[in-house]
Amino acid sequence: MEEFTIVDALLTSVIGIATVMVILAIIAVLIIVVSKVIRAFENKTAKSEAVIGDTPAEVKPAGVPMPEGMNEGEVELIGTDEKTAAVIMALVSHNSGIPLNRLSFKSIKLLDDEKKGADK
Amino acid sequence: MDVLYENLLTLNWAQVAMWAIGGVLIYLAIAKEMEPTLLLPMGFGAILVNLPNSGAAAVIEHLFEIGINQHELFPLILFIGIGAMIDFEPLLTNPKLMFFGAAAQFGIFFTLCMASFFGFEINDAASIAIIGAADGPTSIFVANMLNSSYTAAIMVAAYSYMALVPIVQPPIIKLCTTKAERKIRMNYTGKKVSKRTKILFPIIITAIVGMVAPDAVALIGFLMFGNLIRECGVLNSLSETAQKVLANLITIFLGITIASRMTAAEFLRLETLLIMGLGLVAFIVDTFGGVMLAKIMNLFFKNKINPMIGAAGISAFPMSARVVHKLGLEEDNQNFLLMHSIGVNVSGQIASVIAGGLILAFLAK
Repeated sequence: MEEFTIVDALLTSVIGIATVMVILAIIAVLIIVVSKVIRAFENKTAKSEAVIGDTPAEVKPAGVPMPEGMNEGEVELIGTDEKTAAVIMALVSHNSGIPLNRLSFKSIKLLDDEKKGADK
Repeated sequence: MDVLYENLLTLNWAQVAMWAIGGVLIYLAIAKEMEPTLLLPMGFGAILVNLPNSGAAAVIEHLFEIGINQHELFPLILFIGIGAMIDFEPLLTNPKLMFFGAAAQFGIFFTLCMASFFGFEINDAASIAIIGAADGPTSIFVANMLNSSYTAAIMVAAYSYMALVPIVQPPIIKLCTTKAERKIRMNYTGKKVSKRTKILFPIIITAIVGMVAPDAVALIGFLMFGNLIRECGVLNSLSETAQKVLANLITIFLGITIASRMTAAEFLRLETLLIMGLGLVAFIVDTFGGVMLAKIMNLFFKNKINPMIGAAGISAFPMSARVVHKLGLEEDNQNFLLMHSIGVNVSGQIASVIAGGLILAFLAK
């Protein structure tokens, strides 16, 4: 094993920790970029799907209740996760006194103002 | 009867001392619940290989040869299980937490200097320094790749201090922070991370680390492979197997295999005590580094960071994150730091592998 002095160790340490920092910085930037690209792509896809979903063929007769305890259909979520959406639907049902199987949600969207606030 | 006497007469004090050490490890595992999954097999293995003319020694040595010495199979397979257990979402929602993972690797490089100062050969000094990664498989991988003569002592130190995180870290954190700093609340946005991001993350990390530190690509690759199995959404059964059955199976073998290096001749040396001391230094400096980076970042950021989360960057997952969360609650019972500290903790996992890979890249040749 070749001679390795304390100076070599110090130099290795400085280069080592700096390299770890740089690699992790690159990874952090990549995560941000990839997340943004994917979010933009998914929002675009969601919007185009929403347009297709507005065609008359997709519209279901309103006011027809599902059997007790049964729910059907899809809710478009924009900037909202499923958990939050479930809570919102439950709240609407509770406050309006209309059971969930008689309510129809088309979409739940996070308002732009709130979105900007959350990103800060 | 002569055979029995002959065997008994070959027993020496060093072997008895190793039984005692094995007993202590078993005691710590059972009575104190300190990393019992590893300390118990290691403790029992230490007794097993130190019986006079032990017939088990050859079997355990064989396990060491195929499971660790040749291509570091056990730690790598264990990493698949660990990868399947880790949820990177808290990190993906706040990527700047990555820097704490890096800062908490200071201990590795500081200990490298210290070990060199104490006269260890560079391969041994680097292997000892990796105790600061607070990551068992990485420590085993690096120590073995560098042909360290202190593998067993390094393993015992690494796993012991990982188990001692709830005892080692709090006083250091309190020493480095004020009460007001420990009370800083941090908002958790809870932004949704898309499935595509979660799937791409392990692939991108593997590619980046593989290009920068090719010697660490096996480690990061197996870790991220496990995570990809978890996140892809179509391999739930494999993910569960990796998290439970595979990880448990390898852990059983890993602990007892490491014991093959715990023969009295190899373990009972003054250097072992020095390694235990240096390991402790590595953990302390890791904690200090993480906390200090947070304090420095607070000078520049409007939204203040609770400096304690920096300490979770030591990759001892998830103990370190829990310790920070608990300390936060001690100061303010409405201050929930868990999601932030978990994010830092998983970034420490990645950072420790990168640091290990760099050490190998610099010194293995």
